[in-house]
Amino acid sequence: MPALSSSSKSSDKELPLYSERPEWSDVTPLAQYEDANPIAPIFYSAEYKDATDYFRGIVKTGEKSQRVLELTETIIRLNPAHYSAWQYRYETILALNAPLDVELKLMDELAVAFLKTYQVWHHRRLLLMLTRNPAPELKFIAESLKADVKNYHTWSYRQWLLAYFNDEDLWSGELDFVEAMIVHDVRNNSAWHHRFFVVFQSGIREEETDRARIIRRELTFVKENISSAANNPSAWNYLRGILDINSLPYSRVEDFVRLYVGTSDDAVRDVVDLENPPPAKGAELPCPAAIEFLADIHEKEGRIFQATELWRSMADEHDTIRKKYWEFRIREGLKSVKK
Amino acid sequence: MTTGSSQLAIPLHVSYIKSLGDNKDDLAYHLTAHLRMNAIYWGLTALCIMRHKEALPRDETIEFVMSCWDDEAGAFGAHPDHDAHLHSTLSAIQILLMHDALDRIDIPRVVKFILSLHQPSGVFAGDSFGEIDTRFLYCAVSALSLLGQLHLLDGEAKDRTVNYIVRCRNFDGGFGNVIGAESHAAQAALAIFDRLDVIDEETLGWWLCERQLPNGGLNGRPEKLEDVCYSFWVLSAMAILDKIPWIDADKLTAFILSAQDLEAGGIADRPGDMADVFHTLFGVAGLSLLGYPGLQDLDPVYCMPADLIEKMGLRKPWNALKRKTA
Repeated sequence: MPALSSSSKSSDKELPLYSERPEWSDVTPLAQYEDANPIAPIFYSAEYKDATDYFRGIVKTGEKSQRVLELTETIIRLNPAHYSAWQYRYETILALNAPLDVELKLMDELAVAFLKTYQVWHHRRLLLMLTRNPAPELKFIAESLKADVKNYHTWSYRQWLLAYFNDEDLWSGELDFVEAMIVHDVRNNSAWHHRFFVVFQSGIREEETDRARIIRRELTFVKENISSAANNPSAWNYLRGILDINSLPYSRVEDFVRLYVGTSDDAVRDVVDLENPPPAKGAELPCPAAIEFLADIHEKEGRIFQATELWRSMADEHDTIRKKYWEFRIREGLKSVKK
Repeated sequence: MTTGSSQLAIPLHVSYIKSLGDNKDDLAYHLTAHLRMNAIYWGLTALCIMRHKEALPRDETIEFVMSCWDDEAGAFGAHPDHDAHLHSTLSAIQILLMHDALDRIDIPRVVKFILSLHQPSGVFAGDSFGEIDTRFLYCAVSALSLLGQLHLLDGEAKDRTVNYIVRCRNFDGGFGNVIGAESHAAQAALAIFDRLDVIDEETLGWWLCERQLPNGGLNGRPEKLEDVCYSFWVLSAMAILDKIPWIDADKLTAFILSAQDLEAGGIADRPGDMADVFHTLFGVAGLSLLGYPGLQDLDPVYCMPADLIEKMGLRKPWNALKRKTA
């Protein structure tokens, strides 16, 4: 929440109201239109009311000047969701041909305070489309994510930046970046989603033309991560995603999945099997996501009864909150056998 | 502070909503001016579901809605003098419909505004600032439908819109709010278009029922916290897909009830947090879909009273749990 001053009389207020400033005396402030008795009246702090009265005043005259930049900044700091102020500010920047690097620096500061406000990111997008200098943004976004690692707007903005400029240099560090995010928090669904976007949904870049190698790399990566944190829906979704998008059979990873369906974590470890890293010591087994996966493998291979056995165990024991869903799977499975 | 219960404290929540307009001392109040129209829609709908529509005065409400008319744009802003926005325009239409006052709206102008926000890609922007999001797509489609003007989005325009949604589908079966974005709960426009054929209902139903956490609450994406509002966002989608039975209804009901503030009224995002009108509506809406006794039926496609939608001839296929008797 931005800082608010509670009253215009407070002696520690730094700036006088716009109504008290002689350099603004040529502007006619326009009060908020409140004809009827509104059921939800607003209580404004005097500062916000003053600033928005003057904003309405300059919008009416169409003024686009340096002092308008100051005024819109005041409003934005008090209410970052005031999208009219953002819009008018952008138009003023264009009209003045104001220095964009200065504006970006201000945005750097505001983004930290107003992470969850869409307008901050949209304004940034508009500025980047003018500056056409995306490289420093990657670092900024990474810093921003530190405060809120799953911020939907921030990840969306990063995706937009990469896709819009589509520059090899921008992409080159991306795999490392998303890997670092996953290392930081293996359960960050936004990071896994972003990885899928980078690897499989943003075209094929120079060193990635050997798709078979890429697939092997990704399978190894996700299996290692499942090995270290088995009960992680993001990783299991990612595994399915790799196979689905490359039209590979789920049975390809059957040996791996089976390691997570047993109850003991005493997997035979004398032989290091890179293809099938076992659950880490102390993992909670069996892993429901693995049971679900194995059941899907059985189903796809036509082994319906084995699938229904596993679904039964989910309904009765391992995922009882979704009992009705698992019973649905059993019914559908049995139906397909009868055909 | 929320203190939970095993019952929905209807009279308390009714007076909570009534008192929202009295909050003149709340400094943070002015910061939510951009939500004012939506807040009234949330409050009024919650009251309708709790069978206490009369708690907010009809004439005052209508006058406030009309005071938000942005005559330049031909639509509604969130508050007097705020620029028109698709979301507030939808809320205005919904409020006026619930008060049987749609005749106050200049429908052709509003339709023009909505259609002007349609992008070549098929999605809708929320306002002239340009934010795009499938949630705005929903607002546009819902608004046009409620105004009886959905036929204006036909042929190529309709296909383009449906197609945008399809392109938002992700590898995990869920849908993001723009193409490429992470799957997030909250998508219902396809039902209004009668185009559920484009989705894999079972996979989507699975992704949605996976939102239920051991404590009974629902989250919006994997590994995030439960939140009462998802009791509506997820549940409404499941009602449309006729898959509410895949959720443990008793646990979800208990979760919603535990997030009530039994002193000041209202419902919070989760037990222990502060109540607000947004979560109050979506908690009550979720309970209605779960068949909680004593509530009115809610249409999950439009998030409005079901009997009103039915009367307007707009009901689409959906299934909520049967209403329990007290």
